Amino acid sequence: MSSDQEERSPNSLRGKVLPAEEGPHKAIINFLKQSLEKNCMDLLLIPVKGPDIKSYSWVLLKDKSLLEKADPLPPVMTVQGGRALSSITKHGKAGLQIAAVMRPCEIRAVAELSKLNQIDLENIILISIDCPGAMPLADYMNETDKIAASFKTILEKWEISDSLRPVCQICHRFSLSSLLPSSSQESSLEKDETASPVSDLHIGIDNEKKSIFLIPVTSKGKGILDNLGFSPEDSLQGWESKVEEIKKKKLEKKEQFVQEWRTKIQGPDKFVAAFDECINCHNCMRVCPICYCRQCYFDSQNLKLSPDDYLERAEKRGALRFPLDTLLFHLGRMSHMVLSCVSCGACEDACPMSIPVARIFTTIGEQMQEDFNYIPGRNRGEPLPLQIFLEDEFCEVETPCESEEMPAKESEKNV
Amino acid sequence: MSKALKINKGIEEGIIDFLEFLIQGGKIRGVFTLKKMNENGAVAYSLITSLDELKKAVPFYPFMPVNAGKVLSSFTLRAATEEPVAAVLRPCELRAFIELAKRVQGSLDNILLISLTCGGVYPLRSLKNGDLKNHLSSYWETVKKAEIDPETRPTCQSCEDFIPQLADMTVATAGMKDIDKECVILLNTLKGEEHAANAPGNIITEKVENGNIEKLQKLREEKKKKLFEDFDSNHAHPKDFIKTFAACVGCHACSHSCPICYCTLCDFDSKTCEYQPQSFTSELGQKSGLKVPPGNIFFHLGRMNHMAVSCVRCGMCSDVCPVNIQVATVFSRVGDSLQKVFNYIPGRDVEEPVPSGTYKEEEFTEFGEQ
Repeated sequence: MSSDQEERSPNSLRGKVLPAEEGPHKAIINFLKQSLEKNCMDLLLIPVKGPDIKSYSWVLLKDKSLLEKADPLPPVMTVQGGRALSSITKHGKAGLQIAAVMRPCEIRAVAELSKLNQIDLENIILISIDCPGAMPLADYMNETDKIAASFKTILEKWEISDSLRPVCQICHRFSLSSLLPSSSQESSLEKDETASPVSDLHIGIDNEKKSIFLIPVTSKGKGILDNLGFSPEDSLQGWESKVEEIKKKKLEKKEQFVQEWRTKIQGPDKFVAAFDECINCHNCMRVCPICYCRQCYFDSQNLKLSPDDYLERAEKRGALRFPLDTLLFHLGRMSHMVLSCVSCGACEDACPMSIPVARIFTTIGEQMQEDFNYIPGRNRGEPLPLQIFLEDEFCEVETPCESEEMPAKESEKNV
Repeated sequence: MSKALKINKGIEEGIIDFLEFLIQGGKIRGVFTLKKMNENGAVAYSLITSLDELKKAVPFYPFMPVNAGKVLSSFTLRAATEEPVAAVLRPCELRAFIELAKRVQGSLDNILLISLTCGGVYPLRSLKNGDLKNHLSSYWETVKKAEIDPETRPTCQSCEDFIPQLADMTVATAGMKDIDKECVILLNTLKGEEHAANAPGNIITEKVENGNIEKLQKLREEKKKKLFEDFDSNHAHPKDFIKTFAACVGCHACSHSCPICYCTLCDFDSKTCEYQPQSFTSELGQKSGLKVPPGNIFFHLGRMNHMAVSCVRCGMCSDVCPVNIQVATVFSRVGDSLQKVFNYIPGRDVEEPVPSGTYKEEEFTEFGEQ
């Protein structure tokens, strides 16, 4: 179905194994501490626990003592990492070297944002980590200790628990392979020179072996290992096959999911019904990393009419829902961003009415991305589909289509 | 002499009959009220113009998907309506609309304002988790007895402004034990009386007995006192505010759902509040770390500064917060203090200017020079 299945596995990559006797969290923090000490970077961007003891916030930190409260894989995704990084480098490149430690979907969002000129990747080192998923934000805020404990188990056993966020349960892009350019892109060039990996350094997790792997992908990533005196010569085969196993399970789940949800939202009636409870708060848009517009079109003056216009619209069907344009907002937002949708699930976490926004957008995003043979965040050098014009594309929706001969009229046949 | 329209049907049926009468008779072109969206209890404000659609109206459903003041403001933002319409809304929503009208964000012209003595609404999450459905009947029993329903929004439980001041008509609800059989609509203004002329039901002139309303007023005042005392004891120090807003993700849902926050582009969403790269570097020179995206506390304090004086304590802000911050408690507490300092009650009088928009030479001299 997707070109992911043909992606080259990181066989050509090697890594550095580090022991993680007390779990991946401690080992990763240790590695980051050492990196800061050895000036591999000036600053780290990583989630840190807040003074309220339960929340996590992105902190740009230079003091390694703050690492004691840091967590590279918190049980929840409070702010999408792409959004956090964009707030730092939207107006120009960072003045210092920043290493951002993020989940794969956040790294992929970063790649998309850099294509949209919302992030300048110069001076940024992207460090990705194997991700078991995240827990629903509302569940976590309501029963913090219980959900944190569940997550701990999920992380230890790497199980596909149904207490994870729905889009995390079907996410097969949780590891390094989704952050490497695919070798089978439409261009059919043997070696795509614009291909540019999204992650600089990946941290693989193998809980059974109680170890983590530092896998350099780019020279920036290699530079960190060199600085620390680490030689990436260890074989990754054991970890790679485990990742493939989990990936397979998740792909199966995803296929089922897409079937299920396509039916649930098929046709205008069902699609409209899916948003019956929507209160038009636009939270989903504001937490979405891809939605970067300072003022969303759907909040603009263009959509504000006179009382007479509203009354006329109301009288057409006998009633007019306020706030207006619920469907227009969702479909419009979708048409603007779904090709770059990385299924991070921030939208669904933010919805006060628990509408399955991420599930709906993922279902449609999958189809759209397949149609354009585009996977957001797999290749820094790959332009956004809507930024390029290909003459021979989607002929089937053109009329008349060049590939089909229109039957000529009798009188014109011999002209 | 105060008049009322008495319809011999339960309040929901009664008000719908009355609205039907107004539409059929051409007295209004449409009415803003809550309408059922599906069988799961989802409702939305709707501008209803046809009698068919009016059948789906649920005017007093204890749910506030959006503050109706915001809805009426968006309706009359470009211009006052020249066509008469009616609006059924709660006291805080009405006060919010009045505050917006003062700021030239809407107009009261040609709108028949129908409100009620309000028993409160359930939080937004009560729809999904079934609380609303399960408690609906007990909600109405509580309203009849003039008691506080503990499942309603904290702002509702502590609301002492539940008797609408500037409505043309008020449906007597709280403390009225016969709301299943009788719909009593108090006619507060001439406009109200005019619209009630020839309406189904009887015009009564004898006083509508509701001693229980004072009981409810007292209960609400006590709740408010306790809520504010608890808040004060947990927020003795500025650091406590940081803890309260520690989980804030900067989604700005609170300001976007707030009826008073009307700015098309909020200052705190604008470029002004976006950091240049050098700002990060300079701040990091002084601190060991910096939370990003920046400016969470600044946003809340700034928003408070801009709108707390008009805070009507509707509670939308807490409901939309994805990380369960009790925004409404914070803002209503500060709003309450601020309003007392200025002797100002938001929504009490459309002619009364917003305090921060006026200058008086002799004011707060205790903060000035000796």
